[in-house]
Parts: sequence; C-alpha cells; structure tokens
Amino acid sequence: MKKFLALFLIAAFLVTGVVGCGKTEEKKATEKQGPVTITFWHTFNQQETETINEIVKEFEAKNPDIKVEVQAVPFDGAQNKFKVAAQAGNAPDVFRAEIAWTPEFAALGYLAPIDDLLTPAEKADYLEAPFNYNVYNGKVWGVPQVTDALALLYNKRLLKEAGVEPPKTMDELVQVAKKLTDPKKDRYGFFYRGDSYWFLPFVWAFGGGLIDSNDLSIHIADPGSVQALKFLIDLRDKYGVVPKNIDFANDYDNMMVGFKTGKYAMILNGPWATSDILSGPEFKDPNNLGIAPIPVGPEGKTGSPVGGHNYVISANTKNREAAWKFIQFINSKEAQAKFAAKNNLLPTRKSAYAMEEVKNNRIVSDFKAVLEKATNRPVIPQGGQIFTDLTPNYQAALKGQKTPEKALNDVKAAWEKLLQTK
Amino acid sequence: MRKNTWIAYVFLLPTLIAMAVLVFYPLLLGISYSFTDMNQYNMGNQFVPPSYKFVGLANYKEVLFSSDSEFWNILLNTVIWTFTNVFFHFTIGLILALLLNQKIKGRAIYRMLMLVPWAVPSFVSAFAWRWMFNGEYGFINLFLKTYFHLEPIAWLSNKWTAMFAVILTNIWLGIPFMMVTMLGGLQSIPRELYEAADVDGASPVKKFFNITLPLLKPVAFSATLLGTIWTFNMFNVIYLLTGGGPARGTEILVTYAYREAFANWNFGLSATYGVIILSFLIAFSIFYSRVAKDAGEKVY
Repeated sequence: MKKFLALFLIAAFLVTGVVGCGKTEEKKATEKQGPVTITFWHTFNQQETETINEIVKEFEAKNPDIKVEVQAVPFDGAQNKFKVAAQAGNAPDVFRAEIAWTPEFAALGYLAPIDDLLTPAEKADYLEAPFNYNVYNGKVWGVPQVTDALALLYNKRLLKEAGVEPPKTMDELVQVAKKLTDPKKDRYGFFYRGDSYWFLPFVWAFGGGLIDSNDLSIHIADPGSVQALKFLIDLRDKYGVVPKNIDFANDYDNMMVGFKTGKYAMILNGPWATSDILSGPEFKDPNNLGIAPIPVGPEGKTGSPVGGHNYVISANTKNREAAWKFIQFINSKEAQAKFAAKNNLLPTRKSAYAMEEVKNNRIVSDFKAVLEKATNRPVIPQGGQIFTDLTPNYQAALKGQKTPEKALNDVKAAWEKLLQTK
Repeated sequence: MRKNTWIAYVFLLPTLIAMAVLVFYPLLLGISYSFTDMNQYNMGNQFVPPSYKFVGLANYKEVLFSSDSEFWNILLNTVIWTFTNVFFHFTIGLILALLLNQKIKGRAIYRMLMLVPWAVPSFVSAFAWRWMFNGEYGFINLFLKTYFHLEPIAWLSNKWTAMFAVILTNIWLGIPFMMVTMLGGLQSIPRELYEAADVDGASPVKKFFNITLPLLKPVAFSATLLGTIWTFNMFNVIYLLTGGGPARGTEILVTYAYREAFANWNFGLSATYGVIILSFLIAFSIFYSRVAKDAGEKVY
C-alpha cells in the first residue's frame, strides 16, 4: 500500500504539473489620487517598440494627469497571457489584440464596448475591412491599429533576367515559376509553407472558403478549396517549381533566408516582413523588391487574409475615459503615419493615407493595392482557433498521408465541432 | 513506542498541508473537470458566472471510442517515444557509467563533460537541435552532404524522420541522468564481492552478470521507472522541435492535452487526457514493480 501511495504521488505530481500550468499574478498599479495610471500591453516587435515608446512619451508630455505603464508582451504568448490576466481581473487597461482575438475576448466578456466613445466621423475614417474585425454581436470592441495582408513578393532582378513579368493569374504563376526554377542550382521559382495561413490565398483564388461569418456555413471542403490544395501539390510534384522537401518546422526562416539570398524568386509574405527582407543581400537596392497582389484563380477570383491588430479596452478597467483618450492619441493619423514611415506598417485610417510620409512610402502604397482585394477571415469568437485543425490536415495532404478531399473534410468535421462550443 | 506516533504526524503536517494544497486539491479538481463540458466560454469569470455542466463519461467516450479521435494514434506515438527513449537512456547510460567507473585518466573531466546536456536548459538544447535538423541550412544535412554526398533530408517534416529527430534529441538530453544514477549504483557495490570473484577466477563477463547487474537492479528499477514517467510527460522537446508536427506525426499525449487546453480551450477534454495519462502511469508503475519483484529482488 505504501508503495502504491508513493507511486501514485509521483505520478500525481507530474500530471498536475502539466494540467495546472500556473496562473501568474500580474502586478497591478492602482492609484486613486493624483494622476491616473493606465497600463498598456503591446506586442510590437523591436523596431516598432521604439516608435510606440516615442509616441507614448509624447502623450505623457501632453497629458500630465495620465501616466502610462507600458509593457511589451511577446506576440506568441500574448493571447494566453491576456486571457489569464483578464480571468483574474488583472487585465491591462489597454491591449493590442490581434484581430482574430478581438471577437473571442469580447465573447468571453473580457472587453469593454466603446460604441458610446467612438464618434461617427471617426468611425467613418477607418478602413472597412480592418474595422469589421472590431464588430461582434452588434457592438464595437476596439479600433484597428494596423492592417496587413499577404502579397506576392518577388525579386525583380531575377524575373527580369528570365524575361518574365510578375504573374497575374495562377496559370501564369506556374509558367513564370518554371522559368525561374533550376533544381541543379538549388533555385526555385516559388516557395510555400506548411503553415495553413499561407494556404488561405489559394483557397480564395480557387473559389473555396473558410467559415461564413453570417450563416456559419463551412466552405473548407468545397470543390474550390480542394482544387487549391491540389494546385499546391501540383506545384511541387507536377511542375517542380517549389522544393521537394520543405522543412515545416523551420519553413518561415528558411523562406526568408532563401528569398533574401535569391534562392527563391517569389514568396508570399506581409508588410511586417519587409524590413527584414530589405536587410538581405539581394535587396541592397530596395527597389529590387516587387510587391504584387495574389494571382487570380481560374474564375478570376482572388483573396488574401486580412491580418492586423486592434487596440481594445478591458472590461475591468477603472479608467475607461483615460484609456480611450490614450488610444485616440496612439492611434491618431499622425501616429499611424509615423509607424508607416518608420516600420512600413499599413495605417487603418483613410486620412493617414492622405499624408505625405505615407504616400511617399512605396511599400505601404504597394501593399495598399493588395489590401483592396483582401478578404476578411471569419469574424467569430472561434476565428483564432481555426488553424489548430487546418494546419495538421493541410500538412498531411502535402505529405500524401491523406488525399486533399479527405484532409479538408476532416477539417470540416473538426470545425463543425468547434462552432458548437459557446 | 506507540505513544509517540503523534510527533511523527506533527512533523509530517507541513508537508501534508503543502501536498494537499498543491497536489491533491488540483488533482481532484482536475479529475472532476474531466466529467464536465468545461471550456473557456462556460468556465466563468468575474463578469460571467460559470455555466459548465456535468456530462458524465461523455469525454471519455469521445476520447477513447469516437471515430475521429486522434487518441489511439497519439498513444502509439507516445509508447514508441517513451520506450525507445528509456531503452537508449538506460543502455547508453549504463555503458558510460561502466566506463567511467574504471580507473581512467581524466575521469573527473569526462564525468563533467557528460553532464553538459543536463546542465543546459532543455529548451535551449531543443532550439539548438531544431537548428541542426534544419532541412536546408542544418548542420546534420551539411555533414551528410559533405561526407556522404546524400541529398538533403527535411528531417522535421516527415513522420518517421521527425520521430527519429525528437527521439535522438531526447536521448542526448536524458543520458546524463541515467549515467549519474547508474554510476552511483555501481559505486555502492562492495569491492569485496569482485575481489572474492577474482579469487574464484570469474571472467569479467561473469562478474558483470552475476554481481554488477543483480546489485544494480534496485537503482535501475527506480531510475527506469522515473525515466519512463518523465519521458512519457516530456513536453519541451517535442513542442519546441516539431510542435507535434508534421500532421500530428510526433504528437504525444501531453503535448496533445496541452493543445486541447491552451489552443482549443476545451478544459473538460484536456482534463480527460490528464486523467488518462495519470491512469496509464499508475498502471504501468504497479505492473513494473510487480515484474521487478517477481524477478526475485526486493525493491523498497
């Protein structure tokens, strides 16, 4: 019996270690008198953090009665960190939430609606696609800070040497990529990832879909989606224009290195990657980077996933007015223009696009053209979780472990279950 | 004698309280969650009251018997993962321990070097190995290409090569523990036994099988049992190297339970996985100690 107990304790201890992954207490600044303090968590990368810190400093100089405590949270863990903090009632007053997290946080009751604070004029200034991610259940839960979409990035020099133009259709993509491919020299016309976010543009181009936000119908197993997956497999097996063996665990880094060194002539990526790309040897001349919309499919359709981030106010805030004042400042057209000029981030305010420093940024204006054809991912609370089942099945199809039809039908079945959780 | 037992309980009390708060309460709570449909929407928070329901054995039914459940594949992965790892941990650890138990020059330095994998935080090692296994720029492919003219292999995106990669990494990580434990066991074997065997003219092989192995058994038993439990629940290596991919090819039960809890936010289902993992480990521990006992050695 003693032995059994000892074994039980060992096993119990190890298991609870897994299940009970700790809740971290967040220190919260509560000051009742004098200047109010608001806390702000953001997920900016290093270069962007410098920009936001400047803007926050400006805000504090202009508003001596409001102090801002800024905390940088790594993007990867930010969703869970915010959830845990909000669950314990310790969420920061202002948070920079990825667009797909916003409806989820709203459905969980973690956010404060801002309908009464947002004036119609201000609302009208925001671009429609990114703004829509803030609307859930008939209420507005945040304002878009930045928007993005995947575009076809290409190495102008390589395309010119091969005597080809950037592809406008999926057929042209195959033709152009063929001319740019030489496996003997380890050069390929195109590269795709084992991450299903990179699969979405193809889904839409071939007439497939994800989940309809209105009637919650699932389109991932539609003929168009299946055709898109077959097309990707053909790119590798039939046309040989992408590497045979793509290392899924390292594919983002490998894609970036390969593109920066001219190994891959065309890739899909978003504005966030441009400053990294321009640091590469192939792009010493920044004009060598070409940015084009996603090629259109057989029926002339196209699409690219709209990404981006929103500023939201948490439900447990004690200083909603101050938090809103802060958001308005850090999301003013001037602030957005600053991010555009320094970090190539795409503004979400129409008025920001009219400003000189945004107009003069070629990368921003090129991506703007892509964005005009971009597609919203489903604006539903489960929107952030659709990839948990899409990626493994997508990979299984790429690896030939499942047929494209079977893989996407399995995704459909998993999503049906996902949509039932509420 | 009997009168004084209460003192023992007083001394045990702080531990018992700590265990109750940190182990038993969460454990029982976790087990109770496995009978509910708890997820992030109905778990409740300071703004919304909890509304999850008791669903009986529905979670267990779904995990064990539903046709689209990944459970059996993942269990197979877990079994392959655990036993391959422990087998190599033990054999290589034992061989190294035997070598280091000899009187060789620079023994202290070797011992220290052998401990390096253990001293490095496991996530650092995992990232380093992921880089070495990189299909395009990794050291291993470079090595194979330079010396054997082999085509590059995308180690981490084929099921069996990925399995090989995570197991190799974990073997590398787990050897030091086994080695140190075995070395401790070897050094506790009385020298007189070997001297007596020498007098009787026993060969080294005979000495190994008739003295070393039997006397090492208690240590080996605890070490392999611990090793099995640790490996069964080894989260870092797989999560950081492959994330369970490609296409769930290297997913094991704990990584899947984690995903169910913190990516899908199905706490009920995830707790079910937790309980299943716990039951396996308890069953295995009991079975294993029986086997060890039947083999003629008193353990404990």
